[in-house]
Amino acid sequence: MTKRNRMLISRLGMDAHWRGSIVVAKALRDAGMEIIYGGNQMPEKIVDVAIQEDVDIIGLSSLSGNHMILAPEVIERLRSRGINDIRVVFGGTVPPDDVPRLKEAGIAEVFGPGTSLKKIVRYFRDQGYL
Amino acid sequence: MIRNEYITELKSRTDAWRTECHGRKKEFKESFQTLSGIPIGPLYTPAHIADMDYLRDLGFPGEEPYIRGVHPTMYRGRTWTHRQLAGFGPPEETNKRYKFLLEQGATGINGVYDYPSLRGYDSDDPEARADVGRGGVAIDTVQDMQILFDGIPIDSVSVSLVSCQPVGNISLQSMYFANARDRGIAFDKLTGTSQNDFLLETAITIAPGVLPPKASFKLSVDAIEYCMKYVPRWNPISYAGYNYREAGCTAPQEVAFCITNAIACIEEMIRRGYDVDGFAPRLSFFNSAHNDFFEEIAKYRAARRIYCRIMKERFGAKDPRSLMYRFHVQTAGVALTAQQPLNNISRASYHALAAVLGGAQSVHVDAYDEALCTPTELSSLTALRTQQILQLETGVTKTVDPLGGSYFVEYLTNAMEERILEIIATIDDMGGIVKAVERGWVHSEISTAAFEYQAAIESGMMPVVGVNCYQIEDEKLPIELFSSPETRERQIEKLRKIKKERSDSKVRKALDAIRRCCEEDRNLMEVNVEAVAAYVTEGEITKTMKNHYGVWHPPLF
Repeated sequence: MTKRNRMLISRLGMDAHWRGSIVVAKALRDAGMEIIYGGNQMPEKIVDVAIQEDVDIIGLSSLSGNHMILAPEVIERLRSRGINDIRVVFGGTVPPDDVPRLKEAGIAEVFGPGTSLKKIVRYFRDQGYL
Repeated sequence: MIRNEYITELKSRTDAWRTECHGRKKEFKESFQTLSGIPIGPLYTPAHIADMDYLRDLGFPGEEPYIRGVHPTMYRGRTWTHRQLAGFGPPEETNKRYKFLLEQGATGINGVYDYPSLRGYDSDDPEARADVGRGGVAIDTVQDMQILFDGIPIDSVSVSLVSCQPVGNISLQSMYFANARDRGIAFDKLTGTSQNDFLLETAITIAPGVLPPKASFKLSVDAIEYCMKYVPRWNPISYAGYNYREAGCTAPQEVAFCITNAIACIEEMIRRGYDVDGFAPRLSFFNSAHNDFFEEIAKYRAARRIYCRIMKERFGAKDPRSLMYRFHVQTAGVALTAQQPLNNISRASYHALAAVLGGAQSVHVDAYDEALCTPTELSSLTALRTQQILQLETGVTKTVDPLGGSYFVEYLTNAMEERILEIIATIDDMGGIVKAVERGWVHSEISTAAFEYQAAIESGMMPVVGVNCYQIEDEKLPIELFSSPETRERQIEKLRKIKKERSDSKVRKALDAIRRCCEEDRNLMEVNVEAVAAYVTEGEITKTMKNHYGVWHPPLF
């Protein structure tokens, strides 16, 4: 059996909304991903856990509006530790104008409100993670 | 009650109609059901409610079992409170929004706090650095509370503190009371509500540094006890079914979790030596108005009947006000879409209509941009106008409980009641809601329901206009989004100044008093009111409490 890909799912900062992150976590687990659910964390801790757990993907979630501050920090901290092979994706409430900004900062994909689980699973399948 | 022969005749005529007439036509689906899965038949008749005894099961508005409404005149004599949620950025900015809404006809304030304030963090805490001023207004000290309510007549306007979690509420509520005292307003003049719900802290809106369920629950009861003694017209708790629903609950779970939470508080207050009628009249509820129109109406009606019976039978309450399930409604945020956001105006209107037909005491209508950002002035005003149109133009207020007696609505109310009672019994068997939270049962029930809801959208079983049908490709956003004012630096500057000017010895004394109260398991409210008056910050209070109680890692996944 091939190794299953591992993904850390964390909510950024103080964001309180766990519904989306848990529903996505369950769907990806059902699709064959190994999920580590990190709860609420700041970027430094997220990167620590990602390294410790040797994950392939980090999934960030936030509906609080803190994404433009904290999501790019996760990328910067990964890079400053010389890590380029962990893919970082984001899901949550994001004004449309912020999507290109997050991508410029190195977030591989942004899943906005109303995104279907099918689409998210298909994304990871297409990218070879499932 | 209707004669048995008549019901038998009616049933056989209905069967005949189903096979000979109805059965010949095709329907869109093989079966229909409510959002929570209660089966819905094509037609309801007196046979479906044949066991109903009008006087026993429905009665009159303002009388037991209150299913037809808690007031005898309902909206003929008293309008529901138009209470629009507002809060963002620094208190100076939110104060302006409060005043704007009051000038435009809002009849109460509904103030939400930012993520750090809800959880007891100061704006200068490194953990809070990205969330200050987001999702609500930033409050660190009593000075912020003074600014927030500056120029607002809090002796006449009722104010809801959407303080959510006991850990933050205990400071925020203390600041509100300390500010009133400072303004020379007697506590018995204050009317309003604190949210103060331990389920929010431990199962629903979880963020870092959650208190253990027992500690969070204790703080919520401390607030009930304090208000009973000193702030008699204040609702010290609002069981936040709305938020349970937003996290994923079904309608029956929403009400069952609210009522079992109330049961736990009542048991604890009785254990502390109080008579149920001394505090129960001030327990209040907060519910959602979701998409399934009739299910929501049935939910509110069922909640009133169940609560009345539990209060009488289980707790022997005698004061009629102890028996009343009084509730505020917020239209469902989770039902809003980021796609084609103006469609949310129609959604929220239907939701609000359900709340009013269900007999709500107070309503917040969501703004059309809430799936995208904090509401702008325009979207908030449109939401307030939605309430005013509902009240003044539609005529639904002209009679009490207009849907009472509808075969379908009464059937659905009974079905809803049955499901709610089943969940209450399950939680009772577990030893109550605090234990059900501790063992992760509540978390798992909610996340399962949330997953099923999403699955229903994905399968197309639950249509969502603009999302899984009638989509617009590459939609250009038709609205302007709100941008948060700079908050963190302003708050840090105020904190720095306060910490320089306040009396260090008073602060030390106040924090010592809090620590001792924790150790001796006494009520924390009184010492907290004195602490905030000495300009102790919310973060300092929280850290002192967490040093004693520790933090808990909720079993979410």
